[in-house]
Amino acid sequence: MWETLQHAEWVATLAESRWLYGLISVVHYCSLFFCVGTIVLLDLRILDIANHNRALAALAEQLRPSTWIGFGFAMVSGFLLFATEAGDYAAVTPFRVKMLIIVMAVIFTLIVQWNVAKWDRAPVMPIAAKLLAVASIVLWLGAILVGVEIAPITGLG
Amino acid sequence: MHETLQAFVKWLENTPWGVAVRGSSWMYPIIEWVHFSGLSVGLGSSVVVDLRLMGEGRRRMSAAQLSDSLFAWNWIGFCVAFLGGFLLFSADATTYVSNTGFCVKLGVLTPLALIWHVVVQKKTPAWTHAEEKSAIGKWAGLVEFLLWISVISASVYFLLTNAVTHP
Repeated sequence: MWETLQHAEWVATLAESRWLYGLISVVHYCSLFFCVGTIVLLDLRILDIANHNRALAALAEQLRPSTWIGFGFAMVSGFLLFATEAGDYAAVTPFRVKMLIIVMAVIFTLIVQWNVAKWDRAPVMPIAAKLLAVASIVLWLGAILVGVEIAPITGLG
Repeated sequence: MHETLQAFVKWLENTPWGVAVRGSSWMYPIIEWVHFSGLSVGLGSSVVVDLRLMGEGRRRMSAAQLSDSLFAWNWIGFCVAFLGGFLLFSADATTYVSNTGFCVKLGVLTPLALIWHVVVQKKTPAWTHAEEKSAIGKWAGLVEFLLWISVISASVYFLLTNAVTHP
């Protein structure tokens, strides 16, 4: 299946055009920084012990659309980059690990977003909230780490 | 000028940290990761303020409130990114400065984006108050947004032209 994708005509055009490939890489970097940045900023605010004026729910609401718009762009551009060497990427462990980490990271972020208004009303930040925030940071930064390790380990990209 | 630069990048490559990063098989991607993590936090916190200044997205917080609440992490993020970037640069300084994309990035676009970012950060409270009357905040936010995209574009350019390849 992935081999077919890799050899599709539009994918070949994409892989051969340095401008197109570069443009999609730019979109991928910009949107992934934006997506991960906004997620980590919210998680850091949840962990912020010294900040008495939390305004956590407001910050969460302000950041949420940005996070998912960034995620959407990162996913589409990431898929296009993947398509250029789909068969190879799908076969290597680091890439599979990266996808698994991202799925887990998305789940943790959704849990944080669903509960953040409740945590904001609590007199003390629940321990569960802090653990979830730490897990979210570790997973998202972990996804970037595995992402940068794919090239040196597998030679792809 | 050119000779001073060459002498500087040679020196940088031969610093203990330059030699260590270049000679190691695992350090380069790890430092790249540090650079990217710092960038995510630094750029994420800058761009959400730019978008808010532009009037895009939610209006749950004003641009001034948002900028104020993200201020500390904004600069921590940029410092981490700078530290990572400095180490990556040190490892292959002579190769980097021979690449046009890199020179444009570090010599022109990044300083410009950072100076602009500081101005926007200083002016955001005033622009927030004048939001209804003046469009200057919108334009300033858009310019910063575009400047950061240009920085990333120049970086992708030198990454894809294989300015530096690591085994």
